[in-house]
Amino acid sequence: MHVEFLGVPRQRAGISQLEVHADTLGQLLGTLATQIPPLREFIAVDRLHSSFIANLNGDRFVSDPSTPLVKEDRVLILSADAGG
Amino acid sequence: MPFGYHGRYLRIDVSTGASEYVPLSDTVLRQYLGGSGLGVKLLLDEGAAIMDPLAPEAPLVFAFSPLVGSPLTTSAKFAVVSKSPLTGRINDSLASSGFAIAGKRCGCDAIVIAGRAAELSVLVIDDTSVRIEPAAEYRGATCQDTESGLKARLGANYRVASIGPAGENLVRYATISHDGRHAGRGGSGAVLGAKNIKAIALRGTRRAEWANPGELTTISKSLSKRSFGPATAKYRELGTATNLLTFNRFGALPTRNFQSGTFDEAASLSHEQLSTTRSKTRESCVSCTIGCEHIYSLGSGGVRVEYESLFALGSLCGVSDPEAVLRASKRCDELGLDTISTGGTIAFAMECVERGWIDEPWLTFGSGDALLRAIDSIGSRRGIGDLLAEGSRRVAHAIGHNSIAFAPQVKGLEIPGYEPRALQTMALGFAVGARGADHNRSGAYEVDFSDKVDRRNLTLDAVRHAIDTEDKAALMDSMIICKFLRGVFNDFHDETAEMLRSITGWDVTADELRETAKRIVSAKRQFNLLAGWTPAEDTLPDRFLNTPLPNDPEASLSRELLNSLVAEYHRQRGW
Ligand code: SF4
Repeated sequence: MHVEFLGVPRQRAGISQLEVHADTLGQLLGTLATQIPPLREFIAVDRLHSSFIANLNGDRFVSDPSTPLVKEDRVLILSADAGG
Repeated sequence: MPFGYHGRYLRIDVSTGASEYVPLSDTVLRQYLGGSGLGVKLLLDEGAAIMDPLAPEAPLVFAFSPLVGSPLTTSAKFAVVSKSPLTGRINDSLASSGFAIAGKRCGCDAIVIAGRAAELSVLVIDDTSVRIEPAAEYRGATCQDTESGLKARLGANYRVASIGPAGENLVRYATISHDGRHAGRGGSGAVLGAKNIKAIALRGTRRAEWANPGELTTISKSLSKRSFGPATAKYRELGTATNLLTFNRFGALPTRNFQSGTFDEAASLSHEQLSTTRSKTRESCVSCTIGCEHIYSLGSGGVRVEYESLFALGSLCGVSDPEAVLRASKRCDELGLDTISTGGTIAFAMECVERGWIDEPWLTFGSGDALLRAIDSIGSRRGIGDLLAEGSRRVAHAIGHNSIAFAPQVKGLEIPGYEPRALQTMALGFAVGARGADHNRSGAYEVDFSDKVDRRNLTLDAVRHAIDTEDKAALMDSMIICKFLRGVFNDFHDETAEMLRSITGWDVTADELRETAKRIVSAKRQFNLLAGWTPAEDTLPDRFLNTPLPNDPEASLSRELLNSLVAEYHRQRGW
């Protein structure tokens, strides 16, 4: 699936997007932590730190590591405290 | 008198120069804490709800807090509380830095100002002595020039809060500024201007004692340490400007007077773009370990860039030229104008020009020159600026054509940078907000950016979450601590109760603070009821109801749904 980074995750990752294969959100986060070390501070095994959140296809915000993903999904990773 | 307080407020009548200390009971302090809560309580006691906010007798409160002056990070803040000349309802704005510490060192927990000075004046509070000095030479001066001029005249150890030309000219959304920060929303600058007070300068030597300094030091160190972690990374590393592209991605970036939720040229205003073309420095309020202020170079100086200013003066007005938007933001700071209400009122006028209802053909969406010209005309109340200085609701009533349907306001306060159709918990927060459409007294957008709700298809379950964020904001604004710290708490109520215990010695618990928050929210409602509030005010303009966002058909909010959310909110509040 396609992963998009916004805000601090984008700055830390140094890229705005990439392609990753994963069957669940937890797997995806584990892969990101391995592939992009600067993101490790925000990922505890298979979950995002509470100040960050994932979103599926611009619609649903998801946090459960067992959330299933399919190849066509776009997963957005962003700061949860969107206001200010 | 409890620890952490002085147990009194200073009441000054600037008509006569008379001042007195009025005792504050332990009960009142424990029930309302400080900041917004104490400010509202004092206004209720003064009978301010039924007064014209620009009349001499209308009081303006500067309220401090038990945390001010402590080593707790982000605690150097004060609240400015009055009836709003923009909304006719309660208004509490917060600002930061040395003025809060110096104000509390004047030996009081709040300063209440009433009356009207005979000429433009500066109110000087030197420890416990109060005097009023002429300030004619500062007429028309920017907030920054007034502050530096007064420090040169009185002494560098004075802390100064001032109004710019907009406050002198009674622009209904004028700010009070201190050290580059602004008590921004709702027009407290006009209230001070109506009192002929250009600035308040103060210094003091009186410290409030703490009940348990050792425990307070331990708590402060822990909090400061956590303030360097992931929960505040966004504010430290990028600032709120980073919201712009995120909101655009979610179709929630208000554009061209809320006619769209996306702005094609958003990238040109993004922090990424600004950072590649301009140098940037970072600053912070006094006593803050986060430092969220990102100052971008502009000409020979710099300008603090925040999301709300970028959206209001950028996408909302269709302006994509970063130089124009940054200059507009700086000009608002100089004149003492709230950027959200300024941008909202100008964007509304631009749409009215397009529709042929305002005859100012130069005032077009996308024109940076028009934006800057409009801002100057508002600050001086010249030409069309005299009407725009009244805010979008009054402009709509003046021009008719049912333009109120798309005036971007709730209760008269212009809507901040959250498209209500795409963020529907926030839409509820806007509708029921005591001071009008407001993202600081309700953090309901956080609920929309979570897995607790479906932000475009809300159910009544969202209401309890919206209430939680409003209650939490009431506590943070009364204790006072910065909202950018909110992510670092493991248990917000437990930890804030612990802070209060160490400062005051009270046996305060998390449950007591939950009740305190509800009391403060109810006090604001009580003020509004006395001021004439009716249930019909708790709604959104027609534009947002029953018509989906053009670029996102799913982002649609029916009047029926909003009405049932509001009714459920009132039910859960017990109102
Ligand atoms: S986080 Fe920002 S607004 Fe809050 S106290 Fe620190 S510098 Fe001031």
